[in-house]
Amino acid sequence: MSTVAPTMRHVRGFDVARPLSIGMLVFMMLPLVFLPLASIFIFGTSNGLDKFWAALMAPEAVFALKLSMATSFWATVFNVIFGLFAAYVLSRYNFWGRNALIVTISLPTAIPTAVAGFALLLLWGPYGTLGRLLAPHGIQVMFTAGAIILANIFVTFPLAFGVIKPVFDTMSRSLEEASATIGATRWQTFWHVTLPSLRGAIVSGALLTFARAVGEFGSTILVSGNLAGKTQTAPLYIFAKFNEGQIEAANAIAIVLALFSFLIFSVLFFARDWLDVD
Amino acid sequence: MAKAKEQLVQDPPAAESTNLPPAAASVVGLSKHFGKTSVLENITFDVAEGEVLVLLGASGSGKTTILRIIAGLEQPLKGRVILHGKDVTDLPARERGVGVIFQSYALFPKMTVEKNVGYGLRIRKRRRKEIRETVKELLSLVQLEEHRKKYPSQLSGGQQQRVAIARTLAYKPEVLLFDEPFGALDTQTRSHLRREIRALLKKVRVPAIFITHDQEEALELGDRVALVNQGHIEQIGTPYEIYTHPATEYVATFLGAANILEATVRNDVLEVGSSQIPATLDRSKFRDGDCVKIVFRPEDVSLCRSDLLRPGQIRISTASIEEIAFVGAYERIRLRLERGADECRTDETAYLLTTETPERAKAIIATRPKPEATATRLQVGERVVVSINSFTVLEPR
Repeated sequence: MSTVAPTMRHVRGFDVARPLSIGMLVFMMLPLVFLPLASIFIFGTSNGLDKFWAALMAPEAVFALKLSMATSFWATVFNVIFGLFAAYVLSRYNFWGRNALIVTISLPTAIPTAVAGFALLLLWGPYGTLGRLLAPHGIQVMFTAGAIILANIFVTFPLAFGVIKPVFDTMSRSLEEASATIGATRWQTFWHVTLPSLRGAIVSGALLTFARAVGEFGSTILVSGNLAGKTQTAPLYIFAKFNEGQIEAANAIAIVLALFSFLIFSVLFFARDWLDVD
Repeated sequence: MAKAKEQLVQDPPAAESTNLPPAAASVVGLSKHFGKTSVLENITFDVAEGEVLVLLGASGSGKTTILRIIAGLEQPLKGRVILHGKDVTDLPARERGVGVIFQSYALFPKMTVEKNVGYGLRIRKRRRKEIRETVKELLSLVQLEEHRKKYPSQLSGGQQQRVAIARTLAYKPEVLLFDEPFGALDTQTRSHLRREIRALLKKVRVPAIFITHDQEEALELGDRVALVNQGHIEQIGTPYEIYTHPATEYVATFLGAANILEATVRNDVLEVGSSQIPATLDRSKFRDGDCVKIVFRPEDVSLCRSDLLRPGQIRISTASIEEIAFVGAYERIRLRLERGADECRTDETAYLLTTETPERAKAIIATRPKPEATATRLQVGERVVVSINSFTVLEPR
């Protein structure tokens, strides 16, 4: 009771600053975040739930959602394994060019996604540096599900690494040394000692990567070819249906994606304590 | 005589085959450099079966590096590490079978106490039943049975320490290495755990090497203590030996407070100022006119109001009391030695210094146990006769 911040103004024991600042925060977020989100749900359900369900169950919509999940999944698997490996190498060994590598790994977040997609096209496309060599063998990388995975990997490259590396950096070397003196091989040490300490970082890194990959639009639209039922991911589906004037169809998928990211970030937020339990 | 000497000259592995008891762990001529600075120079010592050796030294003395080399976590530039007669210098840490108790305990945070203790056996692919029984046995040995399902972060520092010890004992290590094991604990837990570990080590009979910078800890824990200073061993011996007969000034001052006086060798006496102290000296090491240092502990100093000394007490000088401090179990008195006109021998008079107050040369420190302090109360400024009960003469460098 007696320990209140001395600068706060009190009116008969009522703290004015508190409700005022909270109210202000919510009010500012209203047009920026809450209302846009709410309008998806309001619009999507305004024509009745059966219409919403029909739009969602359209074969192309289902395919787009499935494709998004599958491509994001494989990109996540790759980036988590790669991020783990890269974080291990870059925090354990000090070598010339180490910082340059760290910067390069982190770069894809700063590159506009359209540029990323364009760059991939220039490399793997039919006239690209590598694509030109593969084309005569009948191998086409671009405009396939593989291209979407490549684009997802590129744009989410540093996410898992960025979460895992700090944990590696702060991990006490003596844990691994203790394991070695007890008689464990490097692999046993990694499996039993290092990896469990990284559990939280791996899960949150994977969720971040996955969430970001599912929502990827800019690079995907360039490399996928946007073929409905073949290479059209969920965000591309929304864009295509909107352009065709089928607002309900676009909206149904938008709701799913919005709910999905809400779910992922809830897990991230609430599961942290559980994942980091000592 | 010649025979015995011959045996000592032989190299250690061969010496083991003779009647010397085999050392559980020996380190022979270890040297190590970090860049251009030498951190260890020619470190050699043995640890006998069931013995506790303490490496005592200030931080940066190289004691931790010795331990890490024995454990296989660092490679020496020169020298060998021999465990139970087997040269392990080139083996990786995991094949050496040493148990290291780290200062930070290094318990695996995502494993329960039980899992931590059983880790060494699990990676050795022992049968589950065997693991369960060993873990149970060890947890009862370190009295942590009721905490077996807890995670390390739920335990106190002392409990974590005991888990760490149980974890290393599980795979029956050749030697236990303790790296400043009590560094992060409060004073009470420290002394409690110290006694506990000492008893435990006597029970399991695994040879142990302790590292510490705390002289009290070293004296209490060690069967022998090796004092490490700037990468070399200053002296190695039983706690009694190194405390009462320090070989060097560094040893004398590192092991608690020490008063040091300079004296001149004359025949069979040491001259300190105008006082003469009878001493039987090894004439091969000391010659007449040599300037030597004599060392005595504050508790070896006796203070009297009169010149009536008890037998065994050696009069040094008179002194005036500068400061009296009560520090619990005893009273600490700082004295300034006097140079009376009759005692003064111009510039040849004693040059005195103490470790506790190096800037105030010519002051010495005396301590008196509480009963004595209460029986004869002394006042600041009072003049007393200073005598000592025992002392050590340091060899001239």
